[in-house]
Amino acid sequence: MTGPLQATTLPETLSGLLGLNTNDPLQWFLAALIASALVGTLMLTNTALVIWAKRKITAAFTDRIAINRVGPFGLLIIVADAVRLLSKELIVPDEVDRPAYDLAPLVLASSALLGFAVIPMGNGIQIADPETGLAYVFAVASLASLGLVMAGYASNNKYSFLGSLRAVAQNLAYEIPLVLTGVSVVIFAGTLRLSEIVAAQSETLFTLGGLAIPSWYAFVNPFAFVLFMAANLAEVGRNPFDIPEAPNEIVAGYMTEYSSVYFVLLYLGEFIHVFLGAAIVTTLFLGGPAGPVLPGIVWFLIKIWAVFLFTQWTRSAVPRVRIDQLIEIGWKGMLVLSIANLVLTAVIVGVLV
Amino acid sequence: MSLEEPRDAKPEIGVTDDGLDYDALAALLGDTLLDREDHVTTEGFVVRPDDVQDALRTLKQEAGFDHCSCVTAQEYQDRYESIYHLKKYDDPTHELSVVVPTSRDDPVSQSANDVYRTADWHEREAYDLVGIEYEDHPDMRRILLPETWQGHPLGRDYDQTQPQVVTLREHANPLQEDHMADDTDTMFINVGPHHPATHGVLHLKTVLDGEQVADVEPDIGYLHRCEEQLCQQCTYRHQIMPYPDRWDYTANLINEWSYARAAETLADIDVPEYAQVLRTMSAELSRMAGHFLALGTFALDVYGEFTAIFQYAFRDREIAQDILEDLTGQRMMHNYFRLGGVVWDLPNPREEFFEKTRDFLDDLPAKLDEYHDMITSNEIFQVRCVNTGVLEPDVAKEYGATGPVARGSGIDYDLRRDDPYGYYPELDWDVVTEDGCDNYARVLVRMQEVEESAKIVEQCLDLLEDWPEDERTLQSNVPRTIKPEPDTEIYSAIENAKGELGIYIRSDGTDKPARFKIRSPSFSNLQALPEMSNGEYVADLIATLGSLDIILGEVDR
Amino acid sequence: MIGILKGMATTMKHALDGETFTVEYPDTAPDVSPRFRGVHKFSQERCIWCRQCENVCPNDTIQIVTDEQRNGEQYNLHIGQCIYCRLCEEVCPVDAILLTQNFEFTADTKDELAYNKEQLKNVPWYKDIDPLESREPDRGAWIGEGEGEIDYQ
Repeated sequence: MTGPLQATTLPETLSGLLGLNTNDPLQWFLAALIASALVGTLMLTNTALVIWAKRKITAAFTDRIAINRVGPFGLLIIVADAVRLLSKELIVPDEVDRPAYDLAPLVLASSALLGFAVIPMGNGIQIADPETGLAYVFAVASLASLGLVMAGYASNNKYSFLGSLRAVAQNLAYEIPLVLTGVSVVIFAGTLRLSEIVAAQSETLFTLGGLAIPSWYAFVNPFAFVLFMAANLAEVGRNPFDIPEAPNEIVAGYMTEYSSVYFVLLYLGEFIHVFLGAAIVTTLFLGGPAGPVLPGIVWFLIKIWAVFLFTQWTRSAVPRVRIDQLIEIGWKGMLVLSIANLVLTAVIVGVLV
Repeated sequence: MSLEEPRDAKPEIGVTDDGLDYDALAALLGDTLLDREDHVTTEGFVVRPDDVQDALRTLKQEAGFDHCSCVTAQEYQDRYESIYHLKKYDDPTHELSVVVPTSRDDPVSQSANDVYRTADWHEREAYDLVGIEYEDHPDMRRILLPETWQGHPLGRDYDQTQPQVVTLREHANPLQEDHMADDTDTMFINVGPHHPATHGVLHLKTVLDGEQVADVEPDIGYLHRCEEQLCQQCTYRHQIMPYPDRWDYTANLINEWSYARAAETLADIDVPEYAQVLRTMSAELSRMAGHFLALGTFALDVYGEFTAIFQYAFRDREIAQDILEDLTGQRMMHNYFRLGGVVWDLPNPREEFFEKTRDFLDDLPAKLDEYHDMITSNEIFQVRCVNTGVLEPDVAKEYGATGPVARGSGIDYDLRRDDPYGYYPELDWDVVTEDGCDNYARVLVRMQEVEESAKIVEQCLDLLEDWPEDERTLQSNVPRTIKPEPDTEIYSAIENAKGELGIYIRSDGTDKPARFKIRSPSFSNLQALPEMSNGEYVADLIATLGSLDIILGEVDR
Repeated sequence: MIGILKGMATTMKHALDGETFTVEYPDTAPDVSPRFRGVHKFSQERCIWCRQCENVCPNDTIQIVTDEQRNGEQYNLHIGQCIYCRLCEEVCPVDAILLTQNFEFTADTKDELAYNKEQLKNVPWYKDIDPLESREPDRGAWIGEGEGEIDYQ
């Protein structure tokens, strides 16, 4: 089954533009490299913007002004902060478990970036479109847990250790409902290929006063959407599920012993992860890059920023749950709900189709 | 040691219609009683150092003195003395001091720890600062000063100039020796002294079993500033008053009242009515500021560091502080009270002040609704706070808990009403209690107390507005130097934002106190923390600590 | 769930109404109340070297040096040690020492915060406000003098 809107991937487009031969592995590799660099840069720029946006958003929720000194709207704080963070001394504590300690930030940051390889961002920006796109995204996103464990265990710090244990327990508990809810979308769309899932959402669900409501799965199955959003909050570690960090309890969790560049990588990785989560939500439930007037990539960015904004919003008002409650919600609540959702979807789709 | 000692059916011995019948109490103690002393507000019963437990137990079980408010230790020329200030939770005006003299050569006295659990820390402090040792004490160590400290700073022979060597042993790497032992599954972890959740410099030595707290021991003293000794070196008339502001530095102004009340009772100074109203109003504004802070920081502990509640609470605290700044000239370190009154009248133009304060009070209900929307009605918050950090009333009394902590455990104890001072008896307000005994109840108590305080301020404003202009006396006539009679002793307390803040003063005939002892509510409240959090999760330990609302400046003094 | 939504609605309301309660210090000079107590100002012309301020100071912040005829030679005040209780101003019979509303002071070392009488004299008013007008010190408790024109220049 091939989706009607399945476009060529970005490397293919680039090869066409640069006159590269897609059958030559070396040239194909070059095209893929350029494409990855473009997408990677886009996402990293996006994440850098978080340094500024996060403070502004938090300030808005808390009635403050926040950064406005450096550059227009304080935007140049991004540069200033980057320089500041990178120029700090890299303190490696005694008896840390190297190279796990050094690799952890890389694993965390890269695992999230890898996920973007298969996300369709509109306007043909998609590096690869494998048959098993969704499975791939979930797989690489889960690699982050490995990074967290490495960071926590290698740091030789009890707070880090506690944090990484919490992270593992949490990711285990929430990955399953997350994937199961994702699978319910797969049942609807009948494919794991992300471009086809997006394409399947472009049909009109119903028309409301002349306004065509597309059949985004958030509208088709709002229950699954809410479930997915909640599981996603846990997956990326945001309130009310930010207990792997929980600064008030375990200082900064797995990040406690990291400084300078390593800290930047962890911090960055965390936010790329939030954006990857947002991208998955967008692709699965919000119609991907689809939207009127503006080009697809703009809609895509708007949607992932909206999801990011939502995570900040919950941070401002939702308390953090306790670890035992978190596990309970995960295993006894969400898992059951997601299985119910899956079975229900399967039955409905089975009956209708 | 049992925490729930059976209370005798008739704890009314020695109670008459007009206060305590000390003769009956003396008869109760019988031969244990050596002598009786006159203190300003009560009597001191002198008992032998090896009779302490018997005497205290009799008084607790048969005469109903269930609140050991404070233990004061001091050194005289010929003896050491520990004073147990006993009270009743039912009626704190029923006071009794049990005085235990010990010889200078061998200052050993029986510990009261078996009778009053709260004596544990108080006696450790007495040992630390004065040098009295307590027999049968479970844990006779220094509490405020480092273990390696030489000498006892409040003792008479102490050489202030003696160099102190605090070895680097104290700063040894805490990771070194606490690797998991082979035969145990627990993990030792230091929460603090520098930790985001300790609101200051508190160190909790915590033993974790997985995520659960197996044992926690607060280690205090990081913010010890010798406040008692400072006050002993200052004159009664003016110099002591700036210091109380620095004890509980979130609700500052009320603390001044504790010293004012003690010194005014000691030196028999009247306070004009008008000044009392001003005092009452400013103290309640200050209490509101303190409770807002408590609410905000508690939200930080439960919600995480990005919560908006913290900022909203600070915004409201700011307004209260602004009003206090208009009145007293400082935002926190007010130094507004003087013996015999207050230093300033309301700022001119008075109307502006009334308007500003009224605006604040008028906006308050809406803001409190907002807080309730964000805090108390939030389901996750309820799940987190209900039935966590449980402090049963019996245990609370054992530990001498007071203030919102006690009232959250259903103990109806508020010195503003029970041991009236200021203008409180004339005003219409209620003491808030909640029966939940948990973190949630303590938050509720604080939020409702803000409402009650607002009621008090409102009434005070009305009074001040209508006060005839020629009767606005701010200070009574107080001599420039105050020299109370030698050897007068007083212990008196007020209700500050955290609970019972008591001051013990002994005069020696000079213009400076010979012994100045501060009974801080946070000190006693914090002592109950292990009882409340053992067996709970780490997250609840942090939440419980937050809901106790301790201020380290007050704990360590 | 309703409670969580109510909480989120509240913060969103605050985010959308655009109100802020913080100010852009130092661009916006904060308003301090007329009674605010900041760094001291000292007038040698008025001082009668009676040493009352030195005596009343709770933590020995003020140091006065006089010669044998009790003529003042030095007036030192450590503004980093001061606890700003205003007792020196209150006790002064001639308003020679008073606390301006100036709360901004910096120094590289602690020693630089020990001001001598010249430095104390040059402490600027905050927003040109003379705080003495707004404070009504109750001199009855101290001494019945000190009325009249005051010239700090």
